[in-house]
Amino acid sequence: MSDFVSLERLTLAYGKTVAVEAMDLGIRKGELLALLGPSGCGKTTTMRAIAGLLTPKSGTIQLDGREMTHVPPSKREVGLVFQSYALFPHLTVFENVAFGLRLRRASDLVARVEAVLGTVGLQDLADRAPAELSGGQQQRVALARSLVMKPKVLLLDEPLSNLDARLRLEMRLELQRVQWETGVTMVFVTHDQSEALALADRIVVMRDGRVEQLGTPEDIYSQPVSGFVADFVGFETIRRDPNGDGALAWRPGAVVLGTGPFAGVIRGVSFAGEKNEYVLDSDLGVIRADAPVGFPTHAPGEAVAFDLPRDAAVRLERFD
Amino acid sequence: MNSRFAQWAILGLTLTFLIGPFLIIIAAALSAGNNLAFPPQGYSLKWVIKVFEIESFRKSFGVSMLLAVFGTLAALVLGVPAAYALTRYRIPGAEPVRLVLSAPIIVPGIIVGLALLRYLVIPTGVTIMLALFLAHTALVLPYAVRVVSASMENLRTDIEEAAMLLGCSRTGAFLRVVVPNLRGGILAAFILGFVTSFNQVPVSLFLSGPGVRTLPIDMIAYMEINYDPSVAALSALLAFMSMAIVFAAERFLGFSRYV
Repeated sequence: MSDFVSLERLTLAYGKTVAVEAMDLGIRKGELLALLGPSGCGKTTTMRAIAGLLTPKSGTIQLDGREMTHVPPSKREVGLVFQSYALFPHLTVFENVAFGLRLRRASDLVARVEAVLGTVGLQDLADRAPAELSGGQQQRVALARSLVMKPKVLLLDEPLSNLDARLRLEMRLELQRVQWETGVTMVFVTHDQSEALALADRIVVMRDGRVEQLGTPEDIYSQPVSGFVADFVGFETIRRDPNGDGALAWRPGAVVLGTGPFAGVIRGVSFAGEKNEYVLDSDLGVIRADAPVGFPTHAPGEAVAFDLPRDAAVRLERFD
Repeated sequence: MNSRFAQWAILGLTLTFLIGPFLIIIAAALSAGNNLAFPPQGYSLKWVIKVFEIESFRKSFGVSMLLAVFGTLAALVLGVPAAYALTRYRIPGAEPVRLVLSAPIIVPGIIVGLALLRYLVIPTGVTIMLALFLAHTALVLPYAVRVVSASMENLRTDIEEAAMLLGCSRTGAFLRVVVPNLRGGILAAFILGFVTSFNQVPVSLFLSGPGVRTLPIDMIAYMEINYDPSVAALSALLAFMSMAIVFAAERFLGFSRYV
């Protein structure tokens, strides 16, 4: 299956600062793709380029078989839900959602706006001003405003980061439902690995303007290619492989406490339900280790032996 | 007790100083006598009625109105995009532009008036009306830029991008999304500009010609010859007009938020 959106050798820059360099990426029709990375890695810049808000320095963007590199945002059929929602403060919820359809002079405007407001559960708030809504409701308006245009690709900038924990879960389910119902191709930007793992069909881990790894959440979680990705998905201890040129990585749960060739001193411990989470100072640096409840406990200041078992490690292609 | 008294005394004096002249003008306007005087000699509305019968007042009122309305509109047409550019972009040379835009507030009107007369009207022979229009536009421009800039600062930048993704061109996004959200600031700038232009004296003093002068200048000219209460009556009417405009603006727009 050929890619629905494809970025080829895409280089993006702000003035002389290169934010994304020679990036190749294919996005499949109907998938939910996450662009994951720390701030400054170029993920938002990439998204803005797909939207047409940024002209690439070089390289091309194709969408549904059409060359889009120099097509203005208004003609791309791409939707974007801004992190700040960017609702029009002078218009009601209904008019915010109807904005794009009015420009197109759509004849079935009222029906379509009402239908999409129903989809996001806001039919009762159609006459409100954006300022009268909660953050979660504003985000639904922003989502509805993009969805009503039936975009080929829907981009979402940090869609969950401004919401509290409960709303976050609700919105996560909502986004999955919307994607399932509409089949729209979605690309969302996040710095939160748990969001990306939970929501995406595939994840692009970005680093310094390049794709570090592309894969399913399972791939990324269990087979990170580099120390950078491993660190991002919860491997706390990463060491160069003494018998090769790669590296080995351990999650806190894979570290064995109480026995082993290494010595450390407990710096702190916190109780987390089924396990105790330890932080150790050692010759290898700071080590995080989880021990299931029921194992002997250790107090801060206590010297303790530990092991980094090779068979519990994940092999990485690169150390950093 | 003493400080309390001092506070009331200061408040009373301030109010007297601010409102006193206005009350005196109203009283003088209602005088039945033939001289501009306070206290008035009897009461009548004849001078108020007389104001509307004086041909030159009617004419100069028209001139002032035209200038205030069209000068301010022109200043907004120039000032809104200028405010947009100055607040939205980091432009090289923005500071000098800001300074030049503020110049009409800083440079004394007498100098502006003299300079326009000597170096615009006399050498080029443009009509007085055009010179007045240009001068008033320039004088109002700083207010337009400042007031509109202030309300621009409160406006998010990403709504324009949102509008573009929904099908607007850049200009379309500006007109459909930016301008409507600046309407309060634009109206406030219009009112401030209108009042500034309407009350403008020093520049207009130099720019008067046969049959063309603004109302304040005409009032000065009238007073040099006739010392009757009609000028007081006209002043009172103008004051009420200004108050009505500002009151309406406050009532419907919350004018004081913008100034």
